[in-house]
Amino acid sequence: MSENPTTLPTQLGGGEDLAALVNVDDGLISRRIFTDPAIFELEKERIFGRAWFFVGHETEIPEPGDLVARPVGMDPGILVRDDEGEIRVLLNSCRHRGMRVCRTDRENARFLRCPYHGWVYKTSGELVSAAAESHYGPDELRKEEFGLIQAAQVDQIQGLIFATWDPEAPPLQEYLGDMAYYLDLVFGRTDGGLEVVGTPQVWEVDTAWKFGTDNYTDNYHVFSTHHSLVDLGMLPNDPDFASHGHMIDAGNGHVLHFVQGPPDDEEFRAFGLPEELREQMRRNLPPDKLQIAEPSGISVGTVWPTFHYMHLQSSDVIDGKQEPFMNLRMEEPISPTRTRMWAWFMVDRTASPEFKRRSQECYVRTFGPAGLFDQDDMENWEDCTRANMGPAARRYTLHHRMGVDREPISDWPGPGRVWADSYGEMTQRAWYGQWLRQMQGE
Amino acid sequence: MTESIDSGTRIKPGTDLYAEVSDLLLREADALDNYRYDEWLGMLTEDVTYVMPVRTSQFLTDGKGFHGDATFFSDDRESLTTRVRRLETEFAWAETPPSRTRHFISNVLVHEREDGELGVRSSFMITRTRQDHGYQMFTGERQDRLRRGEDGELRFAGRVILPDQTVITATNLSVLF
Repeated sequence: MSENPTTLPTQLGGGEDLAALVNVDDGLISRRIFTDPAIFELEKERIFGRAWFFVGHETEIPEPGDLVARPVGMDPGILVRDDEGEIRVLLNSCRHRGMRVCRTDRENARFLRCPYHGWVYKTSGELVSAAAESHYGPDELRKEEFGLIQAAQVDQIQGLIFATWDPEAPPLQEYLGDMAYYLDLVFGRTDGGLEVVGTPQVWEVDTAWKFGTDNYTDNYHVFSTHHSLVDLGMLPNDPDFASHGHMIDAGNGHVLHFVQGPPDDEEFRAFGLPEELREQMRRNLPPDKLQIAEPSGISVGTVWPTFHYMHLQSSDVIDGKQEPFMNLRMEEPISPTRTRMWAWFMVDRTASPEFKRRSQECYVRTFGPAGLFDQDDMENWEDCTRANMGPAARRYTLHHRMGVDREPISDWPGPGRVWADSYGEMTQRAWYGQWLRQMQGE
Repeated sequence: MTESIDSGTRIKPGTDLYAEVSDLLLREADALDNYRYDEWLGMLTEDVTYVMPVRTSQFLTDGKGFHGDATFFSDDRESLTTRVRRLETEFAWAETPPSRTRHFISNVLVHEREDGELGVRSSFMITRTRQDHGYQMFTGERQDRLRRGEDGELRFAGRVILPDQTVITATNLSVLF
């Protein structure tokens, strides 16, 4: 791999300073950063070439040779468990002409054979043979140098596998910082953790990718965007109902929130888990983490820039019972105005078959592209994208000012900067602050 | 899935039963394209199941690409009724104002099973436009089970929607299939 450029320009072609576009302290963010092709080009290098990206969960590739095709940022990747059982992330591109060597979404393979000229790689990435190899002179092919390109770093937390193309990136634990504490809390609560069920839902939306990331740390929209469900009695008819929680800036652009129910609501606690899983949680989590988990009904978090978990609960029918579900999300930008959305359903491995069935059913009815909630989110993001693009609109800023004057609290059991009100744009501003730092080449 | 839906006796085009099935498919498409959702619910049995699995690209030797239990829809009568009631609110933004859809149904194969249920396999092409956006299109296969009620009417007792796309190129799936 070529070296990363060490000096990066901080100005766009027109001479504008990126810092002038993102005013985190005042919460005023230029509309340009969402759809401007020049900014998108810079993002490819400075964000998608450098950050850590979620590629899949270890339960998706349990056996040697199991592989799934996944983007790593904006490049096509292969997440594979090789013959030795080691998890690897490879660039899905032959070293000869760059042809895709894995051409399914999932398979179990001993070798990856490029259709173009018949170069064959082991699942470890090693180049083992090429067709008509005798036509290469002794020093021409150089198999040992031309294995599939490996992600610069691959690591996991709670079975969630992340990779980066940047050898200079900090190791995953350091990159996650305080976010690791919360991922351990949310994903490590039950015996054996959580598992992916089936395969991700994937769909493509005409939206700038940052409208997705913005929305995953936004509780304020719930009452209005999802008002159809208020109308049907499936959400409380109270504009403040999703505000009874805590927003957390975990540093480095990682953000999350926990929403607590009223003290007398026994259901909207402990993530809505059934009693047998709550017992496991009490056993597995240390007291400080339990103090956060016990009163919390939902939690949603972002590992900067594009990975999100949404641990929600909702009823799926009118007058129905609320069920909890875990949903992982990721944005894969296709162009400045088009984004591929990835969504996985997860459930606690040791849960009862009935809970697993109902949790998944409730997820798929309420979230994902056909979900009663999610349908309307995508509508917002598309229309935001279209209405922010014009030459007049992009002279103006968007308003992320809620909570700019709000002070963090000091009596929270976990790390990070924490605010005791889950309506507020503190976490969006933290995400855009990291965006600016990365785009400035820091 | 294909094996079970095609079991039993083939009902050929030109027969009264085939014409009755065709008529139901056409009336259903007409109801959906013209926002007559309660009429559509009336075409479903009380125990209807409505499922769209997620498709993946896999080698043919590994099947037709339906891996595990992932779905886009996993509905029953109660949840479909909730979808319809939602569309009737003023706040279902994905369909407010509503999309224009056109359900094209073709390639209809009908089999009659020993228990009297009909297995109906068809191809669909659904076009959708909304606001001033361009077309979105859904194609695939529907596998329907039809059962005759005590009133003599055929109704849908089960539908499996097999999308052709592995990546759905659409804003969302807020339309019915």
